[in-house]
Amino acid sequence: MTVGTTPVRSVGSAQRGRAGSFGPIRPHWRWVEMRLLLIAALALVVGSISLSGALTGGLTLYDAQTLLTYLAALAAGHVALVLAGRRADQILLPVMGLLGGISLLLMQRLPQDLVTQHWFDMSVGLAQVQLVWLVLGITITSILGIVVRSDSWLRRYKYTWAAAGVGLLLLTFVLGAEVNGQRLTLQVGPFSGQPSEFLKVILVVFLAGYLSENRSLLMEQDTRLGPLRLPPFPYLAPMVVMWAIALGIVVIQRDLGAALLFFGVFLAMVYVATGRVSLVVIGLVLFVLGSLLMANLFDHVRQRIDVWLDPFADPLGAGYQVVQGLHAFARGGLFGTGLGAGLPTIGGRIPIPEVHTDFPLAALGEELGIIGILAILGLYLVLVERGLRIGAAAADDFRALLAVGLALVVGIQAFIIAAGNLKVLPLTGVTLPFISYGGSSILANSIVVGLLLALSDKGVEPPPRPSSGGRWQRLRQRDSI
Amino acid sequence: MSSLTGARRSLGGPIVRVAVALSLAFATLAIAVGYWGVVRAPELTRSPYDAAVIAASRSVPRGRILDRTGKVLARNKKDANGELYRVYAGPAISPVVGYASPRYGRAGLERAYDAELSGLAGDPLRDPFRKFGSDPYDPKDLTLSLSFDLQRAAARALGDQRGAVVMLDPRTGEILALVSNPSFDANAVTDPTTAQKAFKALLADPSEPLLPRATLGRYVPGSVFKIVTAIAGLGSGAVTPKTTYPEQPGAEKDGLVVDGYTIHDGHHPETGSRALGLVGATEVSCNIWYSLTGLATGGDALTEYARRMGFDAPLPFDLPTAVSQVTGGGGAAPGGFQDDVELANAAYGQGETFVTPLQMALVAATIADHGTLMKPHLVTAMTGDNGTRTLGPERMANVISAADAQAITVAMQQAVEGKLGGQFTTGAKVPGVPTAGKSGTAELGGTGEPHSWFIGFAPADAPTIAIAVLVEKGGRGAEAAAPIAGDLMTRYLKMDLP
Repeated sequence: MTVGTTPVRSVGSAQRGRAGSFGPIRPHWRWVEMRLLLIAALALVVGSISLSGALTGGLTLYDAQTLLTYLAALAAGHVALVLAGRRADQILLPVMGLLGGISLLLMQRLPQDLVTQHWFDMSVGLAQVQLVWLVLGITITSILGIVVRSDSWLRRYKYTWAAAGVGLLLLTFVLGAEVNGQRLTLQVGPFSGQPSEFLKVILVVFLAGYLSENRSLLMEQDTRLGPLRLPPFPYLAPMVVMWAIALGIVVIQRDLGAALLFFGVFLAMVYVATGRVSLVVIGLVLFVLGSLLMANLFDHVRQRIDVWLDPFADPLGAGYQVVQGLHAFARGGLFGTGLGAGLPTIGGRIPIPEVHTDFPLAALGEELGIIGILAILGLYLVLVERGLRIGAAAADDFRALLAVGLALVVGIQAFIIAAGNLKVLPLTGVTLPFISYGGSSILANSIVVGLLLALSDKGVEPPPRPSSGGRWQRLRQRDSI
Repeated sequence: MSSLTGARRSLGGPIVRVAVALSLAFATLAIAVGYWGVVRAPELTRSPYDAAVIAASRSVPRGRILDRTGKVLARNKKDANGELYRVYAGPAISPVVGYASPRYGRAGLERAYDAELSGLAGDPLRDPFRKFGSDPYDPKDLTLSLSFDLQRAAARALGDQRGAVVMLDPRTGEILALVSNPSFDANAVTDPTTAQKAFKALLADPSEPLLPRATLGRYVPGSVFKIVTAIAGLGSGAVTPKTTYPEQPGAEKDGLVVDGYTIHDGHHPETGSRALGLVGATEVSCNIWYSLTGLATGGDALTEYARRMGFDAPLPFDLPTAVSQVTGGGGAAPGGFQDDVELANAAYGQGETFVTPLQMALVAATIADHGTLMKPHLVTAMTGDNGTRTLGPERMANVISAADAQAITVAMQQAVEGKLGGQFTTGAKVPGVPTAGKSGTAELGGTGEPHSWFIGFAPADAPTIAIAVLVEKGGRGAEAAAPIAGDLMTRYLKMDLP
């Protein structure tokens, strides 16, 4: 078993790519992506008209400039990928584009004063700020998908990345601003952000590097713990460290969601790397023990759990947010009320506190109904499925684990917050990827999709071989969606 | 997906399994969305905590509430700012209708039927497209079985005494009067100009005018509970109307000793050494006979027959009700009693027995309707855009046979009209109409005045009205409650109600 081999294929493709980019532009048409983007655009246009009908009574695009700017950004990303001539995945961008578009419609629909940013002399409201982040996100995704040719900068410096991540975490511990009793936001000068969103990407990069290097050792079984057969003890150390970090995040940052996300992704990646259920079982046992400990030690954890068990016990106090979210799903029913027609205001306020960051799914549940929620959940599953497929087809362990980890980090995060909204899990403060309001969340998830695009790349299309054109070539092309 | 480099073990298997696991996790989410959006939706979208219900209560004119003759009990009025507020017919109905105030919330029927009155209550399953309509609100007018005139007469009859009156038609379960005293002026709570001061004063009032005593007050029943014991005794077959106890006449003097505890009787020297049966014991309200009947019936049967009439659970009713109990429960003896002493005391209404006036009215209605109990209800029709939906009579339980009910009716009639009974139950008799009833004097311990009770019905041969009257600390049953019941039944039988 080879450990840490140089990825022959990726270097090769990088060289080919470089040669291509210096040569004449040789576009590689992305018909599938184009067709899917058109469908997404059509859905968003219909959504915008329905929103306009509900809010203004007119059947035009609601604030056409905002939506058209967003669609133009998607089109530009598509054209850039075409011109780059790379044979990267064609499903990811449309899925991300549709999720982002749904977010944009939702932010247009919510009261604009939920967020006010002052940029230069302008005062900008919720939807405009979100538009900026979404366009930046599409830009980042496209650039990463085109420019990243080699993975060595990720692979080689994994401990540097890990150090940067821990540094970021410590910085938040020390300098973080407390919002709603949670120390999640890092403010440096005029910029503020949620480091844990970027930390999750760094975590995946580090784990992919660590696990691909030590995979064979972790698969040995020379420690016994009762009926369980474990890897050599020193190689379990990172697991324990990871567990400690997750608990540290809960204790110091009070961020249950990030802890759950990090630990979940960690366990999934360890399982994929080793194929050993015993490690997952140990991890889960540790997690449950840790959770029980936390619930006994900390009031805020126990309160979350109490609210989860019975939010209706205190519907106007501790359970208010969760209860109002559940009521929103109930009002939506099967078909929803239609965009803009739900979310009754009480005294001019939307009934669900923090709806734009914590409860966008409940708002969408009311206005798009069960059907809409199933579609959105389906979009996340498609995104994850593409990522896992890219991982399964990857040339080496590092690339495979990286793709799997990136896909899972989005999927598990979406699950955690959706489950919190639906009272399947206790509510935690993670964002719904691509839909929740927030720059850190959108940029970090765009980086994830950008890296997946890069990992899916099959390189620039080789010049057509004279002997093998025709039908076979077309079939191959189709296969490489 | 197979290994591309032969040297390493493929990750494909675990990846597929992770994908399956995540898909299952997402499937749980799909189930949860269906649960909240379909299964729980009818309940949640009607809840007073629902944002749409709250929002509609501020902007949509609520439906009116009418009595059985069409008299308006609750309607809307616009204040100086053009916002709507509620206006009510008078304090007599406040404990039933309650109030709806944007500031102090809702109470009574205004709370229980909030979704219907504000027009939100469509069934999301049967009418899923209602919310897409241009006017999704369809406020319903509620028609009550209540008679405003009778309600006001009952409130006036109680005067300034604390207490409750419940009157219902035993054949249908329709509530005709549901009075609690003291009451309050709901108009003062909803009128924006007086609301704050009025509500504060109501909360501070030591007589608790906001407590609807008829449905939420729990009282020691005293002798009116003997009717429950008679129902259980006859129903279970433990006794017959002719059952007598040889030890009873002797025990009148010195008390009946049960497990070392002595049960004393009320004063009825007239019966002398005669051993009483059901009719005689009911006429003079004999504690000894009923204690012995309770012991013969047993705790299990006593609680079981009480349960058939609604004890031990909130009543199925339009308004929230307190739970009536035969015993505190948890004891080792059958039925949850502590021992035979508690059972013997409960049998004449002085154990750990607590009842609501509404519950005791249902006991009277059970006998009046020949052993069958109709479900009590207040709202008889809801009228909206799509016409009127009527809520007809429903049977709640078959409690005892008609023959047993007839035997108890005879005993209750004797209690009101008999030579000795008339001395205990003065004033309950409806002139010219055979009347059945039972008074009660609920000892509270200490030196305070007892609660005065009466339950009964008329005409005894074909009952159309059943009644329960409670006067808190009103003295003996005959003194306070019985005359009120007699007057109100007389008045009702003279009225020509639809």
